Order: sequence, then C-alpha cells, then structure tokens
Amino acid sequence: MRIDMKNIIVIFLLVLFVGFQSAAQVPVPAKAQNRPVLVVGGTVHTATGAVIENGAVAFADGKITYVGAASGAPADLKTMEVVNAAGKHVYPGFILPNSRVGLVEIESIRATVDFDEQGDYNPNVRSLISYNTDSEHIPAYRYSGILLAEAAPVGGVVAGTSSVMQMDGWNWEDAVHTKDVAIHLNWPGMQKVRFDFETFSRISENNPDYGKNVEEVSAFFNDAIGYSKLSAKEVNLKFETMQGLFSGAQTLVIHAGKAKEVVDAVLFAESKGVKRMTVACGDEAISIAGFLKEHNIGVIVPSIHSLPVRDDEDIDLQYSMAAILSKAGIKVAFSHTGSLGTGRNLPFYAGTSVAHGMDKTEALKALTIYPAQMLGIDKVAGTLEVGKDATLFISAGDALDFRGNQLTDAFIGGKRIVLDNKHQELYRRYSEKYGHGK
Amino acid sequence: MQLPGGASMNPIALYCPQIHENMLRYLLLFFCLAAGFSKLAAQETFPTNDVRDLRAGAYALINAKVVASTASTIENGTLLVREGRIEKIGVNLPVPAGYTTIDLKGKSVYPSFIDLHTNYGLPRAENAGGPGGGGFGGAEQIQSKTKGAYSPNQSIKADYQAVREFTIDAKTAEKWRAAGFGTVLSFRADGIARGTSVAVALADDRDQNLILKDQAAAHLSFNRGTSRQVYPSSLMGFIALLRQTYLDADWYSKQNPKPYRDLSLEGWIASQNLPQIFDANGWVNVLRADKVGDEFGKQYIIRSTGDEYQRLKEIKATGAKLIIPVNFPEAYDVEDPLDAEAVTLTDMKHWEMAPANAAMLEKAGIQFAITSDRLKERTDFLKNIRKAIEYGLSESAALSAITEVPAKMIGVDNRVGTLAAGKDANFLIVSGNLFSDDAVIYENWVQGKRYSIKDMDVPDYAGNYNLQLNGKSYGMEISGKPGAQKVKIKVTDSLSVDAKSKIEDNLITMSFNPSKKQPETIRLSGWRTTNGWNGKGQLSNGNWIEWTASAAGSSDKKDEKAREGKKSKPEIGDVIYPFIAFGTKELPKSEEMLIRNATVWTNEKDGILQNTDVLVRDGKIAGVGKNLTSTGKIVDGTGKHVTAGIIDEHSHIALAAINDATTNSSMVREDDVVNSEDNNIYQQLAGGVVAAQLLHGSANPIGGQSALIKLKWGAGPEELKIKGADKFIKFALGENVKRSSNAQSMRFPQTRMGVEQVYADAFTNALEYEKKWKAFQALPEKVRATTAPPRRDLVDETMLEIIRGKRFITCHSYVQSEINMMMRVAERFGVRINSFTHIMEGYKVADKMRAHGVAAGTFSDWWNYKWEVHYAIPYNAAIMHREGVLTAINSDDANMGRRLNQEAAKAVKYGGISEEDAIKMVTLNPAKILHLDQQMGSIKTGKSADIVLWNGHPLSVYSRAEKTLIEGAVYYDLETDMKRREELRTERARLIRKMTEAKKGGAPMQRPASSQQIDFDCDGELAALEGN
Repeated sequence: MRIDMKNIIVIFLLVLFVGFQSAAQVPVPAKAQNRPVLVVGGTVHTATGAVIENGAVAFADGKITYVGAASGAPADLKTMEVVNAAGKHVYPGFILPNSRVGLVEIESIRATVDFDEQGDYNPNVRSLISYNTDSEHIPAYRYSGILLAEAAPVGGVVAGTSSVMQMDGWNWEDAVHTKDVAIHLNWPGMQKVRFDFETFSRISENNPDYGKNVEEVSAFFNDAIGYSKLSAKEVNLKFETMQGLFSGAQTLVIHAGKAKEVVDAVLFAESKGVKRMTVACGDEAISIAGFLKEHNIGVIVPSIHSLPVRDDEDIDLQYSMAAILSKAGIKVAFSHTGSLGTGRNLPFYAGTSVAHGMDKTEALKALTIYPAQMLGIDKVAGTLEVGKDATLFISAGDALDFRGNQLTDAFIGGKRIVLDNKHQELYRRYSEKYGHGK
Repeated sequence: MQLPGGASMNPIALYCPQIHENMLRYLLLFFCLAAGFSKLAAQETFPTNDVRDLRAGAYALINAKVVASTASTIENGTLLVREGRIEKIGVNLPVPAGYTTIDLKGKSVYPSFIDLHTNYGLPRAENAGGPGGGGFGGAEQIQSKTKGAYSPNQSIKADYQAVREFTIDAKTAEKWRAAGFGTVLSFRADGIARGTSVAVALADDRDQNLILKDQAAAHLSFNRGTSRQVYPSSLMGFIALLRQTYLDADWYSKQNPKPYRDLSLEGWIASQNLPQIFDANGWVNVLRADKVGDEFGKQYIIRSTGDEYQRLKEIKATGAKLIIPVNFPEAYDVEDPLDAEAVTLTDMKHWEMAPANAAMLEKAGIQFAITSDRLKERTDFLKNIRKAIEYGLSESAALSAITEVPAKMIGVDNRVGTLAAGKDANFLIVSGNLFSDDAVIYENWVQGKRYSIKDMDVPDYAGNYNLQLNGKSYGMEISGKPGAQKVKIKVTDSLSVDAKSKIEDNLITMSFNPSKKQPETIRLSGWRTTNGWNGKGQLSNGNWIEWTASAAGSSDKKDEKAREGKKSKPEIGDVIYPFIAFGTKELPKSEEMLIRNATVWTNEKDGILQNTDVLVRDGKIAGVGKNLTSTGKIVDGTGKHVTAGIIDEHSHIALAAINDATTNSSMVREDDVVNSEDNNIYQQLAGGVVAAQLLHGSANPIGGQSALIKLKWGAGPEELKIKGADKFIKFALGENVKRSSNAQSMRFPQTRMGVEQVYADAFTNALEYEKKWKAFQALPEKVRATTAPPRRDLVDETMLEIIRGKRFITCHSYVQSEINMMMRVAERFGVRINSFTHIMEGYKVADKMRAHGVAAGTFSDWWNYKWEVHYAIPYNAAIMHREGVLTAINSDDANMGRRLNQEAAKAVKYGGISEEDAIKMVTLNPAKILHLDQQMGSIKTGKSADIVLWNGHPLSVYSRAEKTLIEGAVYYDLETDMKRREELRTERARLIRKMTEAKKGGAPMQRPASSQQIDFDCDGELAALEGN
C-alpha cells in the first residue's frame, strides 16, 4: 500500500492522540491555557487585510499578545510553548453565523430537534439553553477551522435570541462565547408558493396578506418600544428581551427572501429604532446592493453551494453572489443552511467565491471579522490582533481549498483543542482492521 | 336499453352522394319506416299527455353562402332541412311547398363545431387533479377500493361507459351552442384507463335522441384520477401499468374458460378497436404516450396542451393526430422590474409563441383537432382561433380542426363535421366569414333544431345619425354586424363615449353619459322611423325629454379587407432547445479540436502527463502526446488540465419522476420519463459532468430501472440516452424502504428482516416464472399452438433479467447489516450486486465487499442527517479504495453533482488517497461501474471524446470547467456561457417590451408568477431524502 504525505500526517495525528478512546464520546474539552504559546514560522492571515509571510502569533491567558513577523516575536522560549508553523498557514478561527449547530443532532429524528419553538413571537427563547456541547457535529466543524458559531433558533416571526458559542466546552455555560447576541426576525413573504400538479412545478404567487402580516410585526415592535416607557406595568418577558435591539446591545438578523422584502424590512427596523441589523438573504440582495450599502447593512448569505434559485439566473449566480455583493461594497458573511452534516464545508464556500471573482482577503473576512461585526463580537474575535481572543488554527495549506485545509493545531481562547474525533477514530479502527498503511 | 334509431343503425346508403336525389327521398322514407330512423318515430315509444303533435321541421335556407366543408363552398346556396337532417344542398334549389323559407342573403352557413375533450352531461369525476397522496404520509392503500369484479388496480376503469351515465345538461348545452358547438365527445376523466366516451348532440331534446355514437372512443391518461392506491403513484408507474394491462388483456382474452372475471379488463378488450384517445400534458408526454402505443401496435389520438411547437420534429415523428387547446396564456404584468424577474423565459416565450402553435403544426403536416378545453370562457374559442389564424394558421385548417377532423377522429363524419344531404342538420348561420373579427353567429342549428344566438332579422342600422335631445346635438354612430350592433355617441369632436345599447327589430334602448366627470347618464328608449329613431328619454335629474336621431349618411366603416390587410403576421422569437433559459437554436456538432500543452490526467498507466496535447476528431480522442498537429480548432492548454468527463453514477436530474411506491417496482423505467428540458443538465455540464445514471428513488426495496444518459443539452429525451448501454436497476435498503419517516405506514416491509424477504420472494417468483415459460416453450409445437401461453409479468421478467445477468443492481445502502444481507441474498440466487450506492458503512465491510466483487459509489462527507448515516465517515471512500473495492464518488443531488471533482478532492483531504485516484473516483471508476469504460472514463486514443478542460488543478476549489465535450462536441464553454447570458438578457428584454406594449394595448394581464422546475418528484415528498 502506497503511503503519501497526507497519510503520514493522519498517522501522525493518530499517534499524537493515543489517549482518544471511544467513538461514543466527543473529545475531552480543552483545559484553560496555562502557558504562553508562540506560533512561529507560518504564513499568518490576520483577516485585517495583512498576510504575513514567515510570521508569528503569540498568546497568553487566552489573549493574543503578538502578531507580526517571526523575527520580531517575543523570544522567551523557555516559558513558552513553541509551535512550529513553518510552511503552514495561520488563521483566526472561522465564525459560522446563523447556524443550528448544537441545537439539533439528527434532523430526521424529531426528538433531537431543539431549534424551533411553538409560537410566532418568541424573542424570549434563548438558543444557548438548547446548546448541546456533546453534539457530534461540533468536533467535525472545528476539524475544518470553524471555532465559533452562532447558535440561532428558527421558526415563527420572531424566532428567538441567539448566542455565539465556542466549538468546545463542558456545558453551555462553559461553551458560551457571548450570550444573547442577536434576535432573529423572519420577515413576512410577499409571495406564496403552491405546487402545481399540471405542470409539476412550484408556482410563486402574490401573498395577498402581506400588508396585514407586516402590520402585525409592526404592532409587536411598537408594543415592545412602548413597554420600555410605561411607568407602571406587569412584566412581559417577550418585551423585556426585545430591548437590546433598541439599545444597540443586540443585532436584529432579518431573514427575508425577496429584494423588496429586504428593503421593506430594513426600513421598518430603522423606523423602529433598531440600532444594529444584518440581513440573511440570498442573491436577491444583488439587485438592492445600492440600498444595502447606503444603509450599511451586511448580508449573511446562505450556503452558496446551491442551485440557481430562478430558472433564468446565471448558472453560477449562487457561487458568485458573495463576490458580486462584496465588490459592491457590502460586507458579506458566509453561512451554512441545510443539513448540519455538511456545514463543515464552510471554508470552501469562501474558496468557491474566490474562484468566482471574490477578493481572497474579503473572502477570509467573510469567514471571520464580518460575521464578528454583525454579531457584535468584533472587539474580541474575528481577527488576529493583539488583545483579541486567541482563537486561531494552523492549517497545512490554504484553508479555503480542499487541497490545503488540513488542520494541525487549533486554539479557542488560548485553549488547545482536540481536533481528532469520531471520524478519525473510526478511520483508524478500520484501517487497523484491514492492515492498511502497514 | 336499445333504442330504435340508434346511431349505429343508420343506413350507410343514405349518405352516398351519387344516389339520385328522388331516389334518396324514397330511400329515406323507406328507412324511416323500416329502421325507425326518424326522431318522429322515436317519439312514438314515449307516453303522450296530449294529442299527437309530430312536426316535420321543414326549412329552406336560401341565398346563403354554404361552406359545406373545407373542400366545398356553395355561393347562393339552398339548404333544405327536414326532420333533423339535411335533405339537400345545392345552388338555388327550388323550395318545396310547405317549407319555412329563411333568406340568408349575405350570410354564411358553416358546419357547427365539434369538441372531443369534454365531460358534458356526465357527473364530474371527483378529485381528478394531481397524483398526490397514496403512500406518502398516511397509511398506504394497497388494494383497490372499487367494489365488484373489477380490476385489482383502481386506476384501470376501462369498464366505464359514458353512454350509461350521460344525460342532457340543458343549461350547459346552451353555452356550448352559443360558442358554435353542435357535437361533443364526452368522457369521464378518471383513471389511467378511463373507459369509453359517448358522442352526443348539443340539442335540447330527450337523451335518447342525443346519442350520436356510444362507445365512440376509449380514453387513456397519465393521471390515476381518484385512485389513491399505492401503485402506480408516478408517471413511470402509469406507463408500466398500461403496459402490463395490454399484456394482461392479451392473456385474459386467450383464456377459455376464464380463470376469473375482470370486468375492467373485459371493457378494455372490448374497446381496443375504438379510436384510442390519450390525455397527455405537454409535448414530452405526447412522446411518452406514443411510445407506449408503438409497443402494442396502437396509434393514439393524443390530447396535448399546446406546446407541441417546442419539439415539432419529434411530435411529427409520432404520427399521432392531436387534439390541441387554444388557451393562450395572458401576458405577465412586468411593470415592476423586480417582480418581473420571477417570470421565466419559458413562460414569456410560451406567451409569445402559443398562438403560433397551431400554425406551426399545420406547416409541419401534423393533423389536429382543436378543443375549447382549458379556456377560461368558452366564448373565447373563436376569438382565440382567429388569433391562431393571425399567427399563420390557414382558415381552412382552422375550420377543419373544429369540424371535419374531430368528426373523422371518432368516426361520426357520416353525420356531422361537414354539410351534406343526409347528415345531421348541425350548422351555424354566420354574418359572413366565420373567422373575421366582427363575425356574428346568429343561429346554431343542432339536429334540425333552430337555436338563435343573436337576432339576425334585425335590420342593419349601421350609419351616422344626428342625435337631438334636450336642446343639444350629438353625433351618433351605429356600427357592427346586424344583431350585434353598437352605439357610439360623439359628444364633442374630441370626446366620444360608448353607449350601452340594445337594438331590436324596431326598438332601441340606450344610455350614455355625455360628461366624463359627473354622473349624468341619459337613458333613452326609442323606435324606428323612416329616417332614424324617435323616442322618449329621462335625464339624470329625472326630467323627461323627447329625442330624435336622424340618419346622416353611412358610417365611415373601415373596409373590412383593408383592416385585415393591416394585420400582418406577428413576429415571434425562435424555438430554443430545450425550451428554457440557456437553450440554443442549434445543437453543437462534433468538431476537430487540438488542446495543446495541457496537464492531462489520462487515467491510464501513463498517469498524469505534463505539457501534453490531446486531439479530438470525429467524436473520438484521436491522439494523446507531444507536438500533435491538427487543421481543426487549436486550444491553448497552457496552465490548464484535461480530464475525462465526470460520470455521475447516482443522479436524479433530467427526470419527470423518481419514485414509484409499490414494494417491488422493478417494472417501472426511468427510461420512460427522461426529461430533456431540465436546466440541471446545463448546470452539471458546467461542472464537467458528461454522463449520468438516472436512478429510481429509494422508496422501495426493489426500485425501477435506470436510464443512462449523456448530458447532450438541447437534445430530445431519446437522444440523451446512451445507446447500447447495459441495463441497470435500483435496489434500496434501510430507513427509506421501511418508510421510517411515515409513522402511519403499513406497507410491507417495515423492518430490515422484511426487506430481506422481499428479495428472496422476488427472485424465487422469477425462477418459478421462468419454469412456467420453459415448460410452455418445451411443449410440442402443435400442442403449444393450441395452448394459451402463461401470463407475461413485467416484474418477474425484470427480476429474471437480473438473475440471468442481463440487468445489474445499483443498491442504495447504509449500514453494515443490510449490506451483508444484500450480498448474501444475491449470492443465494447466483447474482453479484454490481454496486452499492451511498454505502456509508462500506468501510466496515469493505473486505466482504471485495470478496463479493461489488463496487461502491459513495458520498464524500455527508453524515448524521438521519440515523442510518450516524456512522458515516468522510474516510469511507479511502478505506474501501484501499481495500480493493472499485470506488466512485457520486452525487444523488443536482446541486452537488456540479462539483463532483471537489467531492473527489475530499477523499484526498480526509483519506489521503492520491490525487490521481481521486479523479478516477468521478471518471474512470463510475465508467467501470456502469460498464461504460470501453468508451469512456479515460483519455485514451479511440475512446469517446467526453472530456473536460479545466482552467486549473481539477481538485482545487479555485478551478472551473472551461469546456465540456461530449463525443467531440462542445456542450459547455465558459465563454459561450457568457454570451448566452447576454442573449438571455436581450431576449427577456425584448419579451418584456412586448408585454409592456400588450398592456398598453389593453390586453388582459396576469400577475408575475414564477413557475420553478423542481429537482425531484413531488410524489416523494421527502425527495431530497428519498434519494439518499
């Protein structure tokens, strides 16, 4: 049996994590950083725009203490753990916004689904409560560089409140990075879809109730605003949780499909005094790029590895939409919609976008600092800068390409996390059974 | 009840034109007496509650232009009608005494119309809409719910006879007549086999007198109607059931005595010699229906839906006569540019071209009848036919399509469809040319009964008048054909208003508002004078007035001919293939091409060659090497890569149906439902895919037969298929076949234990089946000739093909237990499973798989969306590959199918296999699995030039396919794609302009709506999951 470099890497990893015992358990959560770390010699992608060849990143107590040329790195080698990244690439941990990670294990088994609460207006339900740190998806995500994720609820009109979670931790309190960062609003649709048997196709038609639907949302926001000003009142849990939108503590994530819905929703939110908002929307954003730029609204794009939405659109419009939006001056964040199992491909959405015209630096930002800004965590996450969280990873090659995305080390808040998981364990088990690699 | 005077008893001699007229009269009399032919005679059997009151109904229509048929028009014609029939037609015939004479000077007589697609006078078939329900969600209905000795399949209703349920519907008949119809064919639209129809007259009469022909035609469809039986639940199933029914009928008819009774089958057998009318929605289904007919020696008449112009060549090749609608779509309101984006090119082009369909069919020499079915208003029928004429349909073909052709189709041309002595007196009295815009149908005679639509005795009041009332003077114009004239009031030189008006023989009623701003309606009632009109009127303030309107010369009627001359044939765009965005006018042709200096992934022992040329000629790879020369097209491959075209071993694109739902669906064939009009074909070409196995879904342990296609964008369904390819079938294991997602499911099997038994049973039955046939074939020839052969069974035949190595299994599989089971069951019957698809736990039994000799087609990294993929790992491909299992990576997903090269890259990322082996997993290995590797899968001289030119490393996320060639023809080219986008924009813009003009012109509009192709069969509600 031929063994190439990749095999050697894998076998190296297997040897490294001999303590990894059981496929039935996710890896042991990492211990807090107890010693400064110096990553040195790699190409450092800071996600601020800089790419530092032969760079170094140092961090202590979970915070970055140095980013720059290897030559200028702190040289206190006795106290530091040194990680040689020569020939490798160093990235800030990727941030996955608008995800169901931790909130569902197996989509087709209802008992494992914990992201969609009964009722239309649920700002008060909080995703972190459902967040299962023992989800098997989590180690699979971080294996390709996703180290933070927004666990966000869905359903109804106001779906609930999301939190940013670390892809490691003993329990949700331990794993939470920033709690209650955003409220998710599902804007009413202007269209209704029905299935036509005659032509065997989906027909989208006008939603005659659109106006009524919007009025209902408006009333809810008005009541929430009024609630804060009432002198004597009974406590209303829903309205209590809405206040962060008006103070700027929380992001309003607007989910809307059609361009006109987005415009309507943004103008609506502005008129209600929402301080920070972002839209989760697909290619329709392109036709209103000017509007979005003018209103400084970022866009969370759905999985761009998607089929054209309309029969007549450019066959690669989904692949190129992030590039088009980005060139129009709009901040884009990649996200993953659909089955959780394939969410680990997030970095490759950025890669595909680069193949379709997106600037590579912008593509990296769309995996890191832009989602951080949208979720209000950019002060501590999203770039490799001194003072920020030491949430970063080292990849053997270009992490946006299948051919390079091969993580060797990863740190969340300075904690070195275990990359190996059930998949590698089973790989090892059966490779051994068949005597492969011997 | 057998009635005297039934249509079938009419003496043929009556209609022979060469018989002398006097002779004819005697004959007529004779037959009236002898055979009880006349309706007068028919009356005799009914009780009277009065004295006898028989009437001859004798009329002479004189001075008419009689358009007796498309071949015969008689100027100054006389038409004699008596007792419901046409007695005589000729030029200026003498009028016999006692006949009521009607002078039709200036008017025309046409045969009244015939519609072959109606359920007139029949109860509505309930819920005959879509094929939903049954088997997906809720408990499956396994057995037919029809009580009695009928077909075990509820959608076979061949026993139904419309004549037994038919009864007059006077109100509806009146509407039909008003639109010009005299005869309709009535059937019940329920079921795949719908039984027979009845041809009836639209007269107001006793039911017994209305039947022109019972058992006029037998009706078939691709719609199971009210049945919710689990099988068939897909288009493939409908076709398979039809085929099996033909076989069953043949077998049943040879049984003596019958082993059991099946009244549906007996109905089917009895109706085989009737015209067979097949309901098919869309041209693709026309082809499908015709193919079924071809197999059993039937030429169907096919009722289609008006899009046949999109594939004329193929439609023509069917040889089928069509029944087409004239329900042209309304323009979309495209005023809002954002909303307009939703409207597809297909819908816009169809809006433009639908009115030209009939003309294009005529030009192509395809015979058709026109139905009023699908019109919102039946009164639009003539209007839309006129539109079709405007778009190039000849008047003669138009008339023929609504009279002679339908009459001949159902064999009632001896009575209706043309005007001739002895035929039914079914005709229209029309103001002039039936197809001119202002034509008025005054009367519609059905079976000699006179029905007035518009009063034709009203004098022609057309002209200008000077209207005086209340001290004011207005201009007044009456225009239009008598009986349907309209009044316009000229208030000032610049303001004219339409008056509401009713003009009768001597009286006129009209009202109008001379002011645009205020409600000042003036209401007038008047009567004819020698020089116009006088009358009384009331103003809006209640004051009574006198008014006069005196003639002031003939109106400046625009000359009809001049107006017609102005109407030039509208210009329309081109048909594109397929008829969706990015379709092309012409298909690419194989060309000679030399790709120079590229990195060539040969998939042969040469491995990956740097700086190498690839020569393509005559659809084949003609050379691989250095410094090749060619006089053909030279492509610089510097920095680029050439690989064999990607083959997707598991795909569901380009199909109109994925799942049928019965436990063993081996009789259904994806081959029957290949859909060339699927944009996934083009999208996948852009991902370097050249061929795919189109698999049945996984709703059942034994699924349907596969179709193998090449992605020849633009080619018709038949041309997509790979000729001479081996035959494959889908099997499936696990959660889907247990119907795990449906808590109410009760279909066998519900466990993996049961699944095993399904296979054991099906293979065992097939062997028993083989025995029966062998025994039959072993009979001495003489004995065999007199022995009824065993029943042919499409399920057993398919299973036997598998056992005998003539069909190969692609088995959907997940967990190790079932994978093991499948191999063992197959081995029991001497079968080798050809490939396991998905095979997510293949890594656990890879050694056993190697021993069995089965190949694998897997996902790269899908997992954990259902329980049975809980242990799926992205190292699966690598482990199986290392263990010596022939391994491919496939999509089962129209989306992922566009990036199979990248999926292969993940086998490197996760399993560390070589890049060369990774590329083979999506090219050579699937070619081997599908037994196509002799022609495809590697870059080797002599193989089919199915290759891809990549602009970079084919496993990199940053690379794209620049050219995708199939058999040497460039089906996808990145640069051409950019041009096509531009063409698409231009074409959309042109159509949007045209629609905007149509809106200005006051055409009815519909709101923008998008019709989106779906990428799976809706019957599999979980289709996204059903497949995988």
